[in-house]
Amino acid sequence: MQKFKIKKYIDNSNVSRFRFWIQLLSFFIFVYGGYFFIEIGSRLPMFSCPYVQGSPGGCYLIGVQHELNTTWSSIFSPRGISILKSLGIFLIFFLFLNKAWCGYVCPLGTLQDWITRLRKSLGFSFVRYGEVRFKKLKVIKYLILFLLILIPLAINNSFFGAPKLPHGMHTPFCQICPARIILPLFNGDTSQIFVDFTDRSTIIMTSLGLIVAAIFFVGSFVKKRFFCFFCPMSALQFLFSKIGFLRLIKDGDKCTRCGNCSRVCDVGITAIADDILSKNIVKDDCMMCFKCVEACPEEGALKVKVVSFDLFSATEEGFFKRYGQDKDYEGPKK
Amino acid sequence: MHTITDNDRYNRLKKTSTIHYNMEVNQVLAEIIDDFPHQLAGMEYFYNKFRPVEEGKSLYPKDKKLIASMCIHVPVEIIHALDATAVRICSGAYSADAAGSDFLPAKICPMVKSTLGAIYLDMLPGNANPDLIINPTTCDQKKKIGELDEEIGKEFYVLEVPPSKDSEEARQYWHRSVKKMVKKIEKVTGNRLTRRKLKKSIKMISRAQAEFRRFMRLRKNAPVIYGKDAQLVTNAYFFDDIIEWTKNLSILNDELEERIKQKATVVGPRAPRILLTGSPSIFPNMRTPILVEKLGGVVVYEEFCSSSRMLSDSVAVDEWFLYDMVPAVADRYLKPSTCPNFTPNDDRIRKILLAMKDYKVDGVVYQTFTGCQLYDMESRQIGQKLEKAGYPVLNVELDYNPKDSGQLTTRLEAFMESIKDNKRKK
Repeated sequence: MQKFKIKKYIDNSNVSRFRFWIQLLSFFIFVYGGYFFIEIGSRLPMFSCPYVQGSPGGCYLIGVQHELNTTWSSIFSPRGISILKSLGIFLIFFLFLNKAWCGYVCPLGTLQDWITRLRKSLGFSFVRYGEVRFKKLKVIKYLILFLLILIPLAINNSFFGAPKLPHGMHTPFCQICPARIILPLFNGDTSQIFVDFTDRSTIIMTSLGLIVAAIFFVGSFVKKRFFCFFCPMSALQFLFSKIGFLRLIKDGDKCTRCGNCSRVCDVGITAIADDILSKNIVKDDCMMCFKCVEACPEEGALKVKVVSFDLFSATEEGFFKRYGQDKDYEGPKK
Repeated sequence: MHTITDNDRYNRLKKTSTIHYNMEVNQVLAEIIDDFPHQLAGMEYFYNKFRPVEEGKSLYPKDKKLIASMCIHVPVEIIHALDATAVRICSGAYSADAAGSDFLPAKICPMVKSTLGAIYLDMLPGNANPDLIINPTTCDQKKKIGELDEEIGKEFYVLEVPPSKDSEEARQYWHRSVKKMVKKIEKVTGNRLTRRKLKKSIKMISRAQAEFRRFMRLRKNAPVIYGKDAQLVTNAYFFDDIIEWTKNLSILNDELEERIKQKATVVGPRAPRILLTGSPSIFPNMRTPILVEKLGGVVVYEEFCSSSRMLSDSVAVDEWFLYDMVPAVADRYLKPSTCPNFTPNDDRIRKILLAMKDYKVDGVVYQTFTGCQLYDMESRQIGQKLEKAGYPVLNVELDYNPKDSGQLTTRLEAFMESIKDNKRKK
């Protein structure tokens, strides 16, 4: 009986509010934790950026770019094992939260949600991609992921006789990543806002970084989770998402395709409403914020599971608790 | 010499039709109330809602504009938010059928004829006198009667509904169409849509929907309410004050909960549990549910636009500003709708199949009004899929004329008997 009560309490709860506080806490830990001697690990599946002085950990993408900045022969030497080892560490971290790393932990994601709050408080509307643009643009993150693996290799190896890339392009993604420039600002560190005039390649890459950072602010003001849509970490995570312990499960038979879930989706996934065949409904752009589950009035149509244990389910009661209550309401209580 | 003017003819028609209407209403109400045992105290309020209102009196607040809608696809949240009264005027009255027939070809659905007749003769529920009639472009027959506006002497507003609901284009078209409707109602009422008012109105309807869902949840149990009563509850939603309706449904729900505890069911455990779908039963056209239940069955679910389709789905808004609320409201009237005017319409069969399980349904009665092509066409697909899933289906075609109930009774009787037989064997 006790167990049912807890489940009901969770199902009726406002997960978005919970998420807000978790995000705030995570932001604090991953931007200032280092000052408090917290150390979490350097292969984290989100933007815990080592360029941030107070960061208690490191993003896996910077690790993988460093590790691949080597010759073929050394990759296939015992050194290759360390590459696999860090992938393993990344996976262990990743599997626990699956893509919820993006929705609950990533400081850059949190920052975008705060910018959304700012926009909302000013009463501005938001932009959404149309179906066609959504499909076209979502490929970009895979392209960036591919390049961030390829470029470090191409610095040290020649592909098909082409000349090697200049060393100034090392950790190419970090150079254009908005987290590197923006997150240190929260430590009062403005040193990342610069153009590296060492050579032509560094000038190009660091200037590009500044442009991306500027676009980040504008983009996330007009579109919710603007950057996440292009994030290569999101692409990398999705490759392993199917085996994550945290799951978002849909029962298509119970779905009325009312579209509540897709309307509240910050990244604008429409398949969550329209796909009635997939059981595992985590799509590549999903950040597992579970707003969709909150907005679903159909009993058990959407469920958050930890492996096979039900953590949070869509319920009628929970839906009306979250959406039906209003202090302005003048009618009968009950 | 006395000549009969058009005006005289109109007045005479109106007078006789009103007398017939009152007789029809009283007769059906008597049948619904007196022919069945197990009276529910909470139903009294809903029964009274249907009693004829004296001529010259109106059920609605005089200081508000009255916006009538001819279909569930009109977003009523917006009408309420603009401080107008919303009334759905789809008619089930045979007594208004004849007046409507004068304007229309013979093979037209009786609901369309009756609705047109009721508008023409001012025989709308609660003596509604609409300032504007919103006519969504759903089925062909309904949408074309808007063209008779001059002859009828009422203003119709065409609310454009896309013929399909799945594509992004359809959705955008619909959103624009709803925004245009907002402008029109703003003009008629002289009020402006504000964030606060729309939010309040969404929440008001959301409460009604929550209460309706509670009602339906109770109907999943051993039957403590007849379908004919349940349908009067949802029919009253057409024209009732929503806060009052919610309050009274809540009282009825409490009573039903009590009856479930006491195991005071209206029929025995062997009684066939029936799902009704197809052309909607609208009071006083309650023949099918009444017959099913007189023959020992009980209707546990209605997949009708006068029932579950009207009230089940609820709005979820992410950002409580007009820019997100209006599309959210619009979506709720498009995406989950299982109206057969949309193609494809797979959601309808999925919804029915789910209800078959959830409500432990034994058989389906598929009702089609004579002349309604859309429901008629879907009856084949739906029938096949239901039979494949192992459920018996009976297709019935009916008119509003209560006199031709004979064949309907015979067919329903046989159907109910066969279900009872099957249940006995199990």
